[in-house]
Amino acid sequence: MTLEAAPTQAFAHSGKLGNVLGLAFKNAGLTLATLTLYRFWARTAMRRRLWSRVWVMGDPLEYTGSAWELFRGFLISLPCFFLPAIFIFYIAPLMMDPVTATWLAIGFYIIANPLIAAARYLMRRYQLSRTRWRGIRFGLAGSSARYAFASFGWTILQTLSLGWYTPAARMNRAKLMWDNARFGDQPFQFIDDGESPQQGMWWPFAMGWFGSILSLFVAYFIVFMIAFAAGLGEYISQGAESSEQAAMIFVGIGVASFVLGLLLMTLAWAPYNAAAMNRIASLIELDGARFKLKAKTFSLFGVTLAGWLITIFSLTLLAPVAGFLQVRYVINRLEVTGAPKFAEIGQSIVPEGTSGEGLGDAFDLDMGVGVV
Amino acid sequence: MILARYADGRAAIARDAQVELGPDALTIQVGEQNHVWTYADLRRADDGAGRIMLKRKPDTGERLMLEQSSDLESTAPDLFKPRAFGIEGRAVVGSLIASAWGIAAAFLVGIPLAAAPIAEVIPERQRNQIADISWSQVNAFTDYCDDSDEAARILNDVAYRMMENSNVARRDDIWITIVDAPFPNAFALPDYSIIVTDDLIEMAESPDEVTGVIAHEIAHIEHNHVMKNIIRNVGAGVFFDIVFGGAGAGQAIAIASVNLTGLRYSRDDETDADVRGFEYMDAAGIDTGGVARLFTRFTEMAEEQGGGDIPTLLSSHPASAERAATARARSRPGLAPSINEADWRVVRAACSDEPIPVPAPIEIPAQGQTPREGANPNAAPAPTSPTPPLEGGAGKPESPGPMPKPAHPKAVAPRIGGLPSLGRAS
Ligand SMILES: [Zn+2]
Repeated sequence: MTLEAAPTQAFAHSGKLGNVLGLAFKNAGLTLATLTLYRFWARTAMRRRLWSRVWVMGDPLEYTGSAWELFRGFLISLPCFFLPAIFIFYIAPLMMDPVTATWLAIGFYIIANPLIAAARYLMRRYQLSRTRWRGIRFGLAGSSARYAFASFGWTILQTLSLGWYTPAARMNRAKLMWDNARFGDQPFQFIDDGESPQQGMWWPFAMGWFGSILSLFVAYFIVFMIAFAAGLGEYISQGAESSEQAAMIFVGIGVASFVLGLLLMTLAWAPYNAAAMNRIASLIELDGARFKLKAKTFSLFGVTLAGWLITIFSLTLLAPVAGFLQVRYVINRLEVTGAPKFAEIGQSIVPEGTSGEGLGDAFDLDMGVGVV
Repeated sequence: MILARYADGRAAIARDAQVELGPDALTIQVGEQNHVWTYADLRRADDGAGRIMLKRKPDTGERLMLEQSSDLESTAPDLFKPRAFGIEGRAVVGSLIASAWGIAAAFLVGIPLAAAPIAEVIPERQRNQIADISWSQVNAFTDYCDDSDEAARILNDVAYRMMENSNVARRDDIWITIVDAPFPNAFALPDYSIIVTDDLIEMAESPDEVTGVIAHEIAHIEHNHVMKNIIRNVGAGVFFDIVFGGAGAGQAIAIASVNLTGLRYSRDDETDADVRGFEYMDAAGIDTGGVARLFTRFTEMAEEQGGGDIPTLLSSHPASAERAATARARSRPGLAPSINEADWRVVRAACSDEPIPVPAPIEIPAQGQTPREGANPNAAPAPTSPTPPLEGGAGKPESPGPMPKPAHPKAVAPRIGGLPSLGRAS
């Protein structure tokens, strides 16, 4: 085994794609062999590997969670979440009158929204409490219910504003999350730097919003141009030889346009996502130290696209690799100015908690790593 | 002596330290202080890729970071095994695989076993809710024939005679409806309705063949096969969804189970229904030879068609030479036909083929009736097919049993609507 030296930058990710891919393949195989029961062990092993490759000022992070904790969380969420879901989606449509059954399902989807937000918060709390650096634990204080309800309210505003509240909502969520984050007994802070929190995000957002609408039209236009260049016009004027063949061609054009449209949409949103990530990082403070993230539109698009392709073509089995690419991207572009007084940061007093992240598992929130 | 860094778990700093490796424990010297850590209590906090980081179990937050490993590896080899890193052993993986497939087997075996007792306790209201879904399917794929009342009454009379002789507890809830469909089939619904398609009647060469199929469907209802089947499918759907964690696939299976195409019974249930159906016929003095001939004809048809996926009696009730032989073995030739000739003509005439007037596909003029006023004048007057002598139910024969009360309003007047029927195949 070759030993890797500690990187010299303040933040560095030393993970290698081959190394992560090997573990991802092993996990995928065992997950299939156990009818997905292995997923808790797979997730734990992957996190242990990814965390240990994150170097902060010369020392690596450490993931201390265990698969049994995740498994226990799953067993807890089974009666709390799965049984009601089974009733609503299997028993009610057969056994109750259609109107009641439909209302039940709608109610479930409405409740699911804050529930997912709560699950996200609990999952973040679990992951932070199982993350150590120099033996000192991270943590997340605060109430998941408060986060859930606030988040639900912001979701409603996002919907009512046709998406235009999204930058503000994103910063609100980041603030609530980071204001409650701790390293040891030292709180992180999401500071007010005198500017609007969404500063620098509106133009990229507008580009994304209009760009994603434009994407579909552009995609259809491009695909049809290519199709006509390849002789679709002649084909139509000759009269389709068989209607089945014609249908196949049009389905093909539809699928191609949709895929191209999604691709363009991701590209359209990349500047906004980069701007939001950079802005959030710039407002985080730990004991006087400030952070700076240098995410760039095209590199972020490349990482996102690569992650998508890996996830789709592996039928989500290799989704953790996509997570790895994103985490590595962020860590390698993160800088710190100023240094916290580490000697004065003591061990965390936020309780570790034992709940695992059963709810997060139920909603399939975490495709393996839990990206920033 | 190894140079190391030590973090005490109380502050986020690591101090330089010197480590002395003893036979059972290592000693850490930090400034003036010494810490002794027994190897057996140590675990790895790193991932094995870079420098070594040791922690204690239970975790005190203390960490010892070493750059060099060969000395430690020879002194404490256990710290370099997967277990020290918290990687699960083969025993864990093995028992996970075993329990996953064990649970799967328990589900797939247990659900069918539990289906029968569960089916018994499902209340009527819930049964009818499920039947609503089945009926919407029936209405989508078939047409109601408004000239079939008399024919349905005749079939219901025969059915009631059989059920009374065999003391079928649900005989007053079972109701037969004839529908216009482009395929020969008969099926039992969760609300104890039995659907017989006109194509089945059309392809029957004797009344005993239709009676035999009805007897078989009654047996499915008497033994609760319909609900058992649905419960089995819902169970399988729930299982698939939990295992593969996705919404949809399993739910689709469950929903499909109440669809007509999903109405497939287990082989055991089919045999059971065959045997019980023959018992009804024996008790009512009806020859099973007709069923034997019908099965034989189906088997030949299946061979000719090479197994297309049209929804026929073939697909939901796989006809086999074996089943034909069973029926033939019980045959008692010489018994009177289960339906007399005059009645059989009425039954045969139900929903019989007529050119359907194009602008009004739902309103099919009944056989033998004069075209209604306002009906499409282009519609050809009822051609072929013998006019039943017992038109409009007048002069109906003595019914052998009391007329059963329909269990469900739908059974009398199946909802018309849904999709217009697929074009008649014949
Ligand atoms: Zn059957």
